Amino acid sequence: MILSKFKRLRGPVSCMLLLVGGLAQAQSESVQIKRAAELREAPGESSRSLAALAARTPVTRSGARQGAWIQVLTAEGASGWVHMFDIGAASSAAPAGAGTSALRGLTSFFNKGSAQGGTVTATSTVGIRGLGAEDLARAQPNPAAVVQAEALRQDADQARQFATSAALSSRAVDALPAPAPVQNTNPMVNTNN
Amino acid sequence: MKLQHTFPRMASLSCLALTAGLACAPAHSQDGAKALNLLGSFLRQAAPAEAPAGVLGNLLGAGLMPSGGNQASAGNLIGLLSQSLEQIDEPKEIEIGRQLAAVLLGSKPLHPDMALQRYVNQLGRWISLQSTRPQLPWTFGVLDDPGFNAFAAPGGYVFVTKGLVDQVAGEAELAGILAHEITHVTGKHHLQAIAKSARSGLLTQVIGSQVRGDLAGAVSAQFLSLGRDLYSRGLDQGDEFEADRNGVALAARAGFDPYGLVAVLQQLRTATPDNPLFALSLSTHPPAQQRLDLLEQAMGNRMDGFTGQPAVTVTQRMERLAATRTASSADAPAVTAPPGRRVPAKK
Repeated sequence: MILSKFKRLRGPVSCMLLLVGGLAQAQSESVQIKRAAELREAPGESSRSLAALAARTPVTRSGARQGAWIQVLTAEGASGWVHMFDIGAASSAAPAGAGTSALRGLTSFFNKGSAQGGTVTATSTVGIRGLGAEDLARAQPNPAAVVQAEALRQDADQARQFATSAALSSRAVDALPAPAPVQNTNPMVNTNN
Repeated sequence: MKLQHTFPRMASLSCLALTAGLACAPAHSQDGAKALNLLGSFLRQAAPAEAPAGVLGNLLGAGLMPSGGNQASAGNLIGLLSQSLEQIDEPKEIEIGRQLAAVLLGSKPLHPDMALQRYVNQLGRWISLQSTRPQLPWTFGVLDDPGFNAFAAPGGYVFVTKGLVDQVAGEAELAGILAHEITHVTGKHHLQAIAKSARSGLLTQVIGSQVRGDLAGAVSAQFLSLGRDLYSRGLDQGDEFEADRNGVALAARAGFDPYGLVAVLQQLRTATPDNPLFALSLSTHPPAQQRLDLLEQAMGNRMDGFTGQPAVTVTQRMERLAATRTASSADAPAVTAPPGRRVPAKK
């Protein structure tokens, strides 16, 4: 399937393939330390510190994750664990605590605001792509597929059986508090007409 | 319940939409006007040559007769939606969800790997059991699409793309995404969004020529328009942030590592908007970095105590489930995947 689509790719577009290939390797990704943190020997705050990592220290993710902790490699070759919330994207030049304004500036043009203006068309010439606005615009309702999907439903007992075999059990977890409204407006749906 | 209604029935039901709209006209003149617009677009669609002669007479005449049945038709539902969400009870919500799911499945079909479909249904149903609406007839599905995306529709319809299943690191990540989508359903986010569209008059922009055939098609054309708009535009940012936050808690309630969704968002952060596999999910959601920042504020370290589960990839889980099924001979006949469509092994 991929091969047949490959033929449709033209020269400049073939770099997309590299990008797609790169995504599969996304786990060994360059990131940087967002705020001063410790490089831990093992996942967890109580684990021994191997080194102090200053804000904006570049590190490479190994791809390993254990709960909130991910394994990273420093430029000096030290391997250890940091909390996920202590890392930011490598392109973020923002200092610790100052948020991620640089990255946000980078991404704001493709956030929801611009999407409202029109559909995404830039991808339509690319051979391998995901379901896009163009597919939706062309879609004809497929009620038969809904019936097909409904026939694949699992009931509550089957779900519990799955949980047992997967050693999953339910736990009491408090709802997370909504953070205080931060920036600009929060365009919540107005249900009051 | 069939989506393809017979012609005469649709004619009388679509008049329900009109009468519903007119009935509320004195109280909400704006809505009344929209109901008329809505009728206008029905008529425009019904008028072309493919509609049998006498349609208009039928349509108008039927309004004089007592309306039979209280089954919710697409037109009726939209009339109700544009008035108030409180008019949408659970069966109506599910019917709206079916209409929107038909649009999604009209853009991409279900993936043929039945074992995968079954697994995603088991996983999603288990998570939904911990939600605030465990009794909905939850339906999960994997769309045959290489992109990275997930969708929900009212009434318990949740879809993920095959590309997403292939690219998440493991079950905890997939669980985080399903929990996020389940939270959109329990929070009625899509229902609110389409009610807003219905009130804004967007419905009158339906282009009849894109819709095949009969009057039944014309009525669900309203939902086609709503669905296309909804899924290519996305929800309000506030709904996404809420679904992130509540999805993390929901996944943890179901026994999963609460950092699964955080890991997915970190993965999304590295994707660029010109990446054709991520284009729609990026354009319909707030920037991943912003979502991560807000999740960090909400989570702090209060979820760290719920971690510690061994990581399981989707492939590993499915192999284990298959082994369990083979071991228990008393089990119902196993659904087997068509040859050659196995889930690729994780790197």
